[in-house]
Amino acid sequence: MHKGSNHECENIQTHLSAYYDKELPSWKSLLICWHLKRCAKCKIKYRELSQIEEFLHSAEPVKASDAFLSNIMSRANSVNTDEKENRSVINKLVSFVDRMQIGLRSSIRSYNSYYILGFFVSVFMMIGITLYTPNIEELSLLKTFDSKTIKQQERLVAFEVIIQPEPKRTLKIR
Amino acid sequence: MIVSDEDLMLQCSKGDMSAFELLVRRHQDALVNYIYFTINDYHRAEDLAQETFLRVFKSAKRYEPKSTFKSWLYTIATNLSRNEHRNRARRKTFYLEDLVDENEDVYHSEFLIDTSLQPDILYEKKERQQLIKKTLNQLPENQRLALALVSYQELSYDEISEILNCSNGAVKSLIHRARQNLKKLLIKAGIGDFEDAQR
Repeated sequence: MHKGSNHECENIQTHLSAYYDKELPSWKSLLICWHLKRCAKCKIKYRELSQIEEFLHSAEPVKASDAFLSNIMSRANSVNTDEKENRSVINKLVSFVDRMQIGLRSSIRSYNSYYILGFFVSVFMMIGITLYTPNIEELSLLKTFDSKTIKQQERLVAFEVIIQPEPKRTLKIR
Repeated sequence: MIVSDEDLMLQCSKGDMSAFELLVRRHQDALVNYIYFTINDYHRAEDLAQETFLRVFKSAKRYEPKSTFKSWLYTIATNLSRNEHRNRARRKTFYLEDLVDENEDVYHSEFLIDTSLQPDILYEKKERQQLIKKTLNQLPENQRLALALVSYQELSYDEISEILNCSNGAVKSLIHRARQNLKKLLIKAGIGDFEDAQR
């Protein structure tokens, strides 16, 4: 049997595990298959992989107990009834916000153009509002109010507190 | 006609309990077996498998079939068994099954039920299982998980990369290194006739 070069064998052996699991593209697995036919050393390595797998499968797999399914179903049913009972208006609102968040996140992740545009517009609007806050007095609607009346409303009102002194003598009843 | 797991999950999200029951029936044994080989405690493995299915049920309404159901299920199970490992390390807890002597008579419930099995066969099986557990336990966590997923659950490298949250190339090298290490451990234990052992 022909022996492959050391470098070639090393290269093949790094891919042998993936070849065993049939995870290589067809052209690569064809090359390895061809190499294995003519290289005894790599063939032994391949056989070792199947020995390891045999060893792993030699133990009997454990199985779920008979009560496993019934336990899960009863727990799932109790979760279902609990959910129905706890569905108040606040919970509904929270779940709506939650769903909105998930939807928004997934649409941003999937690069949905409308959502990204909406996101940027809202961010720019928020920045604009914080940087250029409009002066209330300059707004046309508030101009109808006289600025003097506003100042009068803000006047401080002085007040006096009279504290009555305690009597020096007190009548004690025996 | 066999209904796919993803379709069953979509039915489950609409509140169909029979779809959920079918999903559990399909995956219960494989899931318990996987968790058992990762945490080494049968009863705890059952608890964690139940917890996994319950989490699936609770988040059924948010399920989107972007990836396979199997990879989603095993991602949850892997995270739970990782947490279990972490908690055990923090509490420095040892489970009885880790501590039992190989000569002691501790069998799994399945073996106890099946009385037709001979005691010597039972003993051999149990010993084999102990040996596999011991050798697998000596592997680093990620290698052990990757090997269990590819050998016992027969998942693809893409699915494993999703579960372990790493690239496809990383999974490839993880499994390659896991098998190399396992071979070394088997040679050390004197099992199998490997070429390296004969030298």
